[in-house]
Amino acid sequence: MSAWISSHLLTFLVFAPLFWGLLLLAFPERLAPLVRLLALLGSTGVFCVALIHLLRATPEYGTLFCERVPWFTIVGLPVDYHLAADGLNLWLVLLTTFLTPLTLLGTWNSPPSRGGAAASIFLMLETGILGALLAQDLLLFYLFWEAMLVPMYFLIGVWGGEDRKYAANKFILFTLAGSLLWLVALLYTASRAGSFAPPLMAAAIQDLPGSVQRLLFLAFALAFAIKVPLFPLHTWLPDAHTEAPTAGSVVLAGVLLKLGSYGFIRFAIPMFPSAFAHYARPLAILAVIAILYGALVAMVQWDIKKLVAYSSVSHMGFVMLGLSSMTVLGTQGAMLQMLNHGISTGALFLMVGMLYDRAHTRMIADFGGVATRMPIFTTFFLIVTLSSIGLPLTNGFVGEFLILNGTYTAGFGWGRVLAAAATLGVLLGAVYMLWMVKRVFWGAANTDEDSGTARLSRDLNGREIAVLVPIVVLIFWMGLQPRTFLAASQEPVARLLEEAKAPAPRMSMMPAPEVKP
Amino acid sequence: MNGARDLAALLPLLIPAAAACLLPIAALDKDQATRKWIRGAMFFTAMLAILGSFLYVTRLWEAGHQPTFAQFRMDRLAQFGAIFLLVAAAMTVMQLWDHLHQEGWVKGETLSLLMTAVCGMMLFASTTHLMLLFLGLELFSIPLYALTATVRLRASALEGAMKYFMTGAVASSCFLMGAVLLYGVTGSLDVGEMGVRLGLLKGLDPLALAGAALLLLGFLFKVSAVPFHQWTPDAYEGAPHPVAAFMSVATKGMTFLALLRVFTAVSGGGEGLLGVKLRTAMALAAVLTMVAGNLTALVQTNVKRMLAYSSISHAGYLLLAFVAATPMAFTGLVFYLVAYLAMNMGAFGLLTAFGLVGERVTFDHLRGLGWKRPGLSLAATLCLLSLAGIPPTAGFFGKYMIFKELVQAGHVGLAVLAVLASLVSVYYYLRVPVALWLEKPKPSLEREAAEQPAVEAPFAGATVLVCGLLTLACGFLQTFLVDGFAARVVRDCIGLVR
Repeated sequence: MSAWISSHLLTFLVFAPLFWGLLLLAFPERLAPLVRLLALLGSTGVFCVALIHLLRATPEYGTLFCERVPWFTIVGLPVDYHLAADGLNLWLVLLTTFLTPLTLLGTWNSPPSRGGAAASIFLMLETGILGALLAQDLLLFYLFWEAMLVPMYFLIGVWGGEDRKYAANKFILFTLAGSLLWLVALLYTASRAGSFAPPLMAAAIQDLPGSVQRLLFLAFALAFAIKVPLFPLHTWLPDAHTEAPTAGSVVLAGVLLKLGSYGFIRFAIPMFPSAFAHYARPLAILAVIAILYGALVAMVQWDIKKLVAYSSVSHMGFVMLGLSSMTVLGTQGAMLQMLNHGISTGALFLMVGMLYDRAHTRMIADFGGVATRMPIFTTFFLIVTLSSIGLPLTNGFVGEFLILNGTYTAGFGWGRVLAAAATLGVLLGAVYMLWMVKRVFWGAANTDEDSGTARLSRDLNGREIAVLVPIVVLIFWMGLQPRTFLAASQEPVARLLEEAKAPAPRMSMMPAPEVKP
Repeated sequence: MNGARDLAALLPLLIPAAAACLLPIAALDKDQATRKWIRGAMFFTAMLAILGSFLYVTRLWEAGHQPTFAQFRMDRLAQFGAIFLLVAAAMTVMQLWDHLHQEGWVKGETLSLLMTAVCGMMLFASTTHLMLLFLGLELFSIPLYALTATVRLRASALEGAMKYFMTGAVASSCFLMGAVLLYGVTGSLDVGEMGVRLGLLKGLDPLALAGAALLLLGFLFKVSAVPFHQWTPDAYEGAPHPVAAFMSVATKGMTFLALLRVFTAVSGGGEGLLGVKLRTAMALAAVLTMVAGNLTALVQTNVKRMLAYSSISHAGYLLLAFVAATPMAFTGLVFYLVAYLAMNMGAFGLLTAFGLVGERVTFDHLRGLGWKRPGLSLAATLCLLSLAGIPPTAGFFGKYMIFKELVQAGHVGLAVLAVLASLVSVYYYLRVPVALWLEKPKPSLEREAAEQPAVEAPFAGATVLVCGLLTLACGFLQTFLVDGFAARVVRDCIGLVR
């Protein structure tokens, strides 16, 4: 078994959760606690396997693991079952496998009904995400990208809040709108290239006229930008977040959104270097608008969860800004910011969930003086808040600093202005988060009988502390020693940008000069 | 010797025909409460006939025999059609057993009519001779008119059947008129021969064009393409659920296979003056069908009407294969039909499996049922996701193949329209899983449902499970289906003409 896992590590990582989830689906409803325990153990197992194998792999960070077999050929297009782990997705894969057991543990009591089915669906979601992260063949990526929507849809739709049907439908329709148009672009490119392998497709794109290239890029960018979500395509996100159960929100913010920005790095930029350079500035401007707009809207929210959701829009704006700067610093910052956002926002959603489970409300006005009732919770919340704001020593600072630095030196001209505007976004981030903390945690305890604070009778228990401690450790680790997390992507990112700037030979994208018959 | 060879071609058709003749004997018993074993024997006979024919055709397929009898060709395309049809018919019979018991309306003629329709459809997809085509068309249409009105005490059944019959009769006469015009111009009733002679003529005779257009109208009516779709929702609503499923799957599938044969024969694969004109007409019909079908489906409250409009919109996607008109697009069409068989049978089967009869087929009636029978509902959900074209189900790969060929043929605009149409469709397909899993039952309807006798629909439930598995399996065994069946069907079909 362990030999099989070593040689098929990626297949194991992707399909073990699905297999486990399907198995658990067969358990009857009354065994829900057992199912949740098994799901937790299973996903912890997957995390351990991922951690051991991925970190033990060769330190020079080329392609760490790769599995490639021809899958099928229909309508003349070969599709490969091609999974690979390399510097670009290594940490995102680890983040996904890390957050899954953590979320299961953190939301142990949350979904009141049908908890077993929720845990199974949650594991299936993990399969979709990991598959999309690891897939190197574009059709395979597309399949995972779409298949991932279904478990998320049901997670929001069945276990969500009041407006869950609306939110779930909006989520799936928005995402599909982007990805279906993207499918047409994908088919167009693939039929030119005769393959779904990105290097071959990139070569075929080079031969197309510039206007067609740009149109195709826009189709790719639309699908990814909806997922990120980039302003003005973000409107599904606050709804989905507010309605989703805590577990759904954590994974949605933690990893699902990253797939959009990851799609840019993995596919859109290397395949459309010139079109990306052409649209870098508009993308950067939209990113800055997202940063400022997200922050301003977050400031006026009444609902803590919605506030965190809008802060996601703002933070993901930073990621997009870093990517569109087309500098090594900015892109590296974006890579780190993806992890940061996954950890801090994931933790924020978890903690909002903990608060909600106790108080049954998320309205800021219902709280006040929570610190007097739950001192341990407040400590954790404050640390994560500071990380989300980007205080030096925490992870948020490093990512945002690199991104702003990269934007400042960006080649498209408006770098300094955009960097200055984005810095304002950092400031606004401090404003909305700290203001919220002030209203919820500080001050005299809200003594009103119906208020949220009055219902807070117990502080965090051991289980919840166990969930939050690793997150806090990571926050400081990433803030103090970001090299651990940046080293892997250093070389791939540098190569990516080099090729994007000088797209002529594209040798390293192509493993071997392939001659088409 | 000669007789044996003739029989070889006709046998798949003769077996259901024999069953069709035998079955009415059971119906001679006028008593509503026909004894149980007679009912069982009837369904058993029907299943036996289907199985016999199925085994025979699969033997033919495996051995590679392609017997012919005059203009009747049991070639790969016809054999594939027969297998497709017989699987659909078997599922229909199984669902009918449950559904007719739920309706309290088990009569002999239903199965007999169904077997006759099976005969007619097989004939329809096995020939290029216009008179035989017309014979096949009528042989399956007339039983279907009657089948629509199976529960003839219900007004909606009569209304649906009447509408279907009236419009169907017009379409059939158009088909006949087209055949006559084409015969007048070319002096041949065989479409292949006709294609050759039309190619020899300078330019395009307007009469030939009118003839071809009328012929096409007959086909488009049967696949319920817009603007010849008006009968569909009413007929489906009035018909018993399994019959509606059979109409949507088998009629559409076999008509598309026949159209594939006729189209490739008359236009040599879509090239030539007539081919281009026909393709333009089909592109127009496809656009109208996708837009009207999907938008109208959005506002339905009745699940069967929604499925009817969904069936209309799928005709639009399938027509796109003829616009692309490449061998691979036709391969995609054949694959799509297999997927469509599984997913649509599953979707209609859901209604039967939950025992929702009569007027009780709105989305509200489905509410909260998912948690009562999770396995069954999961299979049905898979079928609906597949109808919506969400990977990795069969429906996605069907669309993928057709759209890819469409894009490669240069019709990017049409492909964009098609994906937007299927985006719209996601919304209404998801309403079924939403009702099944996400919504709580309405108290009034729950009380009403509690008054109904407990539903046991073992056969219908089994078909839904099979369909769910099939939609998933088709998503992973595309190569097997495409290379093993679809590609060979299309290769032989086009090779026949060239």
